[in-house]
Amino acid sequence: MAANSQLPRRIIKETQRLLSEPAPGISASPSEDNLRYFNVMILGPTQSPYEGGVYKLELFLPEEYPMAAPKVRFLTKIYHPNIDKLGRICLDILKDKWSPALQIRTVLLSIQALLSAPNPDDPLAEDIAKQWKEDEAKAVATAKEWTRQYAQG
Amino acid sequence: MNSDDDYYSDNDYDGSVGSDDESGSEDDYGFDLTTVEEDGTRRPPYTVLSEEDILSEQREAIDGVVSVLSVDTSTATTLLRFFKWSVSRLHDDWFQDEARVRAKVGLPPSSSNEGVAKASTTCQICFDEYAPDKLRSASCGHFFCQECWQGYLKTGINDGPGCLSMRCPLPDCNSLVPETLIEELVEADELAKYKRFHLRSYVEDNHKVKWCPAPGCCFAVELKSAVPAANEPLDIGCKCGTSFCWSCDQEAHRPVDCETVKKWVLKNSAESENMNWILANSKPCPKCKRPIEKNQGCMHMTCTPPCRFEFCWLCLAPWSEHGERTGGFYSCNRYDANKNAGEYDETEKRRENARNSLERYMHYYERWAAHEKARVKAQEDLKEMSDDKLKRLSECQSTPVSQLKFVTDAWTQIVECRRVIKWTYGYGFYAELSQDRRNFFEFMQGEAELSLDNLHRAAELELAPFLSLDTTPTSSPVPAGLAASPSTASYATSPAGSVSSLYGTTAAFDDFRSKLTGLTAITKHFFDTLVCQLEKGLDSSDNTQVIEAMVRSKTSEKWKI
Repeated sequence: MAANSQLPRRIIKETQRLLSEPAPGISASPSEDNLRYFNVMILGPTQSPYEGGVYKLELFLPEEYPMAAPKVRFLTKIYHPNIDKLGRICLDILKDKWSPALQIRTVLLSIQALLSAPNPDDPLAEDIAKQWKEDEAKAVATAKEWTRQYAQG
Repeated sequence: MNSDDDYYSDNDYDGSVGSDDESGSEDDYGFDLTTVEEDGTRRPPYTVLSEEDILSEQREAIDGVVSVLSVDTSTATTLLRFFKWSVSRLHDDWFQDEARVRAKVGLPPSSSNEGVAKASTTCQICFDEYAPDKLRSASCGHFFCQECWQGYLKTGINDGPGCLSMRCPLPDCNSLVPETLIEELVEADELAKYKRFHLRSYVEDNHKVKWCPAPGCCFAVELKSAVPAANEPLDIGCKCGTSFCWSCDQEAHRPVDCETVKKWVLKNSAESENMNWILANSKPCPKCKRPIEKNQGCMHMTCTPPCRFEFCWLCLAPWSEHGERTGGFYSCNRYDANKNAGEYDETEKRRENARNSLERYMHYYERWAAHEKARVKAQEDLKEMSDDKLKRLSECQSTPVSQLKFVTDAWTQIVECRRVIKWTYGYGFYAELSQDRRNFFEFMQGEAELSLDNLHRAAELELAPFLSLDTTPTSSPVPAGLAASPSTASYATSPAGSVSSLYGTTAAFDDFRSKLTGLTAITKHFFDTLVCQLEKGLDSSDNTQVIEAMVRSKTSEKWKI
């Protein structure tokens, strides 16, 4: 709790806004015992293979935040060329394109957009990306199957 | 790119060359690394820069841009880095379309006044409200508080050289963070780091400058001529003592091209396992068969008593055959001659093996490696000479160190020549030459090798006695006046029968001086010829003249070889 008491104003403000004006299809709430740790839920975007799925993620704000990017990871299993089996996400703004003017909200919106537009040319999960490029219909079918199996109920 | 080269060199030549030229000719040992310009003057095609030199060149370039473009120092610095320190390209683009350059680089339009906040605003990083004087922007109107800027800049600088082109923190804003803002806000430690990246950019971004590849060396080299074509060797002698090739960063290897060197080095590493046991560091004495390890530079070997057999390390034939009388003194480098000699017991076997590529390779590798070893030893000797022995020699001979430059000149020449002769074996292995050209090449190689061996032996063995006088107590210091006559004092106190006392006379030392100077000159001449002919592609039309000239210069020398 000592760490929480020195929470930067920016994090407090971001948290307040996330709770009072959540982005559509996204919810993020801080953990009770660590205000830098967020439980996140993202709804699978409509017209994507992930539609109807509810995805759990964890988000952590490191000590250097906002000078360093938040750490985000999928907890729900997902079949996606830019997300590996440990839930790690390949997204430029989480790495070299991070800017302190970005926020938790913008990061989560970007992840939601990534679900709508998988990018098999810049893969993290090579086998899935290969499948995606060779036979997209089959890959999409697999993604839907995984959504049904792991992201519902 | 080409037009850039031209501009660049033009600019450089106009101003600074005169002084380079003079200092260049002063220590003109080694071979000819200079280029001959149209007006007939010679100048080294590069300069070696220390960190101070780099800083001052940077400052000079920036000041030039400040005055020509009428911009501030911060903008000039940014522009030069963006154009990879090419003033001519910057000028071209800038005067063609200043607005486009500004947009591309991320500079504000010339009329911009967006750097100063007019009213209190919320910092987009910490979400706090600040008065105008606490806010800063990269001249694009996106304001952040000083503290957030500091965090942003610090993080960027700690991330590496990318900090030289940090942008406004707002995503998708292309505005470059001005130097002035960095200097204002960043702490001393980070600023030092930033300045370091700035210094490095002059070397690492500029295609006419590169670091010396030697480990721990802090010098950079700047080309004063056009960048050589790929595969075209350009020897660079760094002030740290390393010689390297501009084009391939390997050790210097002129006149052999980079591709050949690369192939050769690769082959050596691939076959090194075989070579290790075949060419262990020892050879048996050809006469008494005792194993001998060669730990001195020259090829003239003398077996230890009682054998005392003198032979050539390379071909193992008696050294007596390496004289002018027999005419066969360069046979040690004549692979064909060896192969066809046919006077050994295993003649048949040899002929058979001669067709074997491994043996052919071994022939060249062995000589390449022997010269490399001799070169390394010579380099150590040269260092020892300049660090220590020269002072001793000066005391023993009552001669100021400044008068002993001929000794270091000789050693420098030896090191350079060992390197060149070494690479001619890599060349010989790969070159596809007509018989005429091969004969011509091997003749020059042989002559060069022989004169080098003579020089090396003189510098190594004949110098030694002049250094040993300081063991006799009264010999030093000898007053300068006495030293002119045979040094009677040291003569009298030397152990009876000591040969070394003869060297106390200045006459003997003068003899040695002129011999070593002569040998250095003739060796340099032979190697210049060899390098020059190889670079001309061994054009056989002037063979005879070259050969005659070499023979003439040899016989006209007082110190015959």
